[in-house]
Amino acid sequence: MLAYGLLALGLSTVLAIVTWSVVSDYLTSQRTSSAVVVTSDNAAALRYGLFGPPQPCRPARERAECGSPTLLPGVQAMDVLNSLPSTDAAASMLYLEDHWYSLTGQPSDLPPDLIQTALAGSVVQRRIAVNGQPVLAVGVPIGRQGEAFFEWHPLESLDNTLRTLKITLIVAAIATALIGLAVGRLASTLALRPLAELTRVADAVARGKLDARLEAENDPHLGGLARSFNQTAADLERRVAVDARFAGDVSHELRTPLMTMLNSMQLIQNHRAELPSVVREPVELLGDDLDRFRRLVIDLLEISRDDGGDRGSREIVRIADLVRAAGDATAGREVTTVEPDAEGLILQADKRRLERVIANLVENAEDHAGGCKGVGVEAGGLGVIITVDDAGPGIAVEDRSRIFERFGRGETSGRGRGVGLGLAIVARHVQWHHGTIQVTDRPGGGARFIVELPAKIS
Amino acid sequence: MAHSLLLVDDEPRIRRVLRLALEDEGYQVQEAANGYDALAALRREPPDVVLLDLMLPDRDGFTVCREIRRSSDVPVIMVTARTDSHDVVAGLEAGADDYVTKPLVAKELSARIRALLRRVEPANSRQADLLEVGDLRIDVPGAEVTRDGETLPLTRTEFKLLAELAGAEGKVLSREQLLSKVWGYGYFGDSRIVDVHVRRLRLKIERDPASPKHLVTARGLGYRLVS
Repeated sequence: MLAYGLLALGLSTVLAIVTWSVVSDYLTSQRTSSAVVVTSDNAAALRYGLFGPPQPCRPARERAECGSPTLLPGVQAMDVLNSLPSTDAAASMLYLEDHWYSLTGQPSDLPPDLIQTALAGSVVQRRIAVNGQPVLAVGVPIGRQGEAFFEWHPLESLDNTLRTLKITLIVAAIATALIGLAVGRLASTLALRPLAELTRVADAVARGKLDARLEAENDPHLGGLARSFNQTAADLERRVAVDARFAGDVSHELRTPLMTMLNSMQLIQNHRAELPSVVREPVELLGDDLDRFRRLVIDLLEISRDDGGDRGSREIVRIADLVRAAGDATAGREVTTVEPDAEGLILQADKRRLERVIANLVENAEDHAGGCKGVGVEAGGLGVIITVDDAGPGIAVEDRSRIFERFGRGETSGRGRGVGLGLAIVARHVQWHHGTIQVTDRPGGGARFIVELPAKIS
Repeated sequence: MAHSLLLVDDEPRIRRVLRLALEDEGYQVQEAANGYDALAALRREPPDVVLLDLMLPDRDGFTVCREIRRSSDVPVIMVTARTDSHDVVAGLEAGADDYVTKPLVAKELSARIRALLRRVEPANSRQADLLEVGDLRIDVPGAEVTRDGETLPLTRTEFKLLAELAGAEGKVLSREQLLSKVWGYGYFGDSRIVDVHVRRLRLKIERDPASPKHLVTARGLGYRLVS
């Protein structure tokens, strides 16, 4: 685009310079030759007035010279000067018989070498300045050695013309460059717009917005590229959707057998006392694992919920009440401490999802990390900061991001029991509420999970 | 006497195991495999509670629910696979009183049933048996609402909701309070249940349900009943 502008600027500059030099040379030479012609005519008229009609020179012998003309008797140089036709000449001066005769103008304004050249018998012209005005001085010999006629012609109008031309050319060059720049920009934008669109859409897909598509399918130049790009994006979107739905579908299918097993197990446990002692322990084992299985299925359903299109329901929630209700119920005792500044904080939330966040964090602390040492709610950060402390060995720094992945149990911290979906669900639901989650060390040992949510004062 | 349940589900294994478990909890259980059988059983031997799966082979659970409502005010608990807004709200709009999600266990279900069958408890000892709100006359022990001598066809849950609001004597009751008083839920009950029931109740007790005069919304707080 800049290249277009520079090209336009270069071209118009060259054009302007060429135009300038040609036109100014032409105008100057025209002016000069017309000035010389006028002065020569005047000199001829002067010669006629001073010396009479020219005598034909007929030398009799080879080396004989024509004699110099002689002044007409009784002629006055000033009268002859005055009789010259009026021209545009600003000054007319005659050097005759060692005297200056001047109609207008001062001979002292003429450069001496110009006078000498003319007196020596040559026509001469030169640009000079008289009283600060540019003029063209012309000297013409009038027939006798050491005598000449001088005039100067104003160049002001020529200079004005040339100045106007110069300004016009410069303005035209700049305007051309700017227009070139604009046209270049327009042309490049038009030509590159589909590419910009492609960049934007590809970027959107890369950032996870898989339903972004190019609209240039009917573009004659980019249609093919757009179609194959869109095809690829559609395939990717379908693949991701199928993958995401798979877990949900599997868990869905598991629900019926799970319901049969859970209710049968409940029946058996209701009549535990009637069981022969030899099967009581196996039934207990079966019951425990069945419960774990149930939670896995529920977690899988939970985490595939968003993929299944559940947009959830948002309502205004007092965050302190919610954390207290979920935290205390999960721990089975009072674990929640609410700072006074957090009591009035509210946020738009899906209660069910936030309950899962708190319940899963407390459950994680209870089941895998030596018990929940407290749940805190305070104002700060994005709005509200919720902390869940445990008494476990803490989480190694290198595991701290991995524990929020699906089945991403920490490798070095040893908390591998459980199915490893609880914290992934927590991270997902916190993100759903535009919040953040991180894990640090609790002062005094153990881990501290810190959830920040965008709450405000009611 | 044991409460009777009508269990409507197309999956025989689910019906079998739920019948066993619910009978063990002390209920009398009838089974129906489809909507047609369910409506027939309802006419033949009216149950105390209907447990209705939304996925039925002959017609969907929403239609069955609407047909039950045409002739009966029996409490209906629908069984959904998902808690998606659409399923739950559509089921409640169709007339269901409450919902449970799969996989469900007889013990949890039993708690839901008990909450629905509980009669209206007086909010305080001074509460009269007959409450009047505007042109509505609410007979609490008789579980009946009349307007201009005409009985309004409320379901039992709608009546409980109305009676709780009337008992509050014009004070605002939050959705959480109503969920707890009428449905027996704790803090995490689904407040959409309250919202849909309020909508249904307005259709029956308000002369212009679009601009309610009696059952008004206190924005961000809950609902209240005014004369």
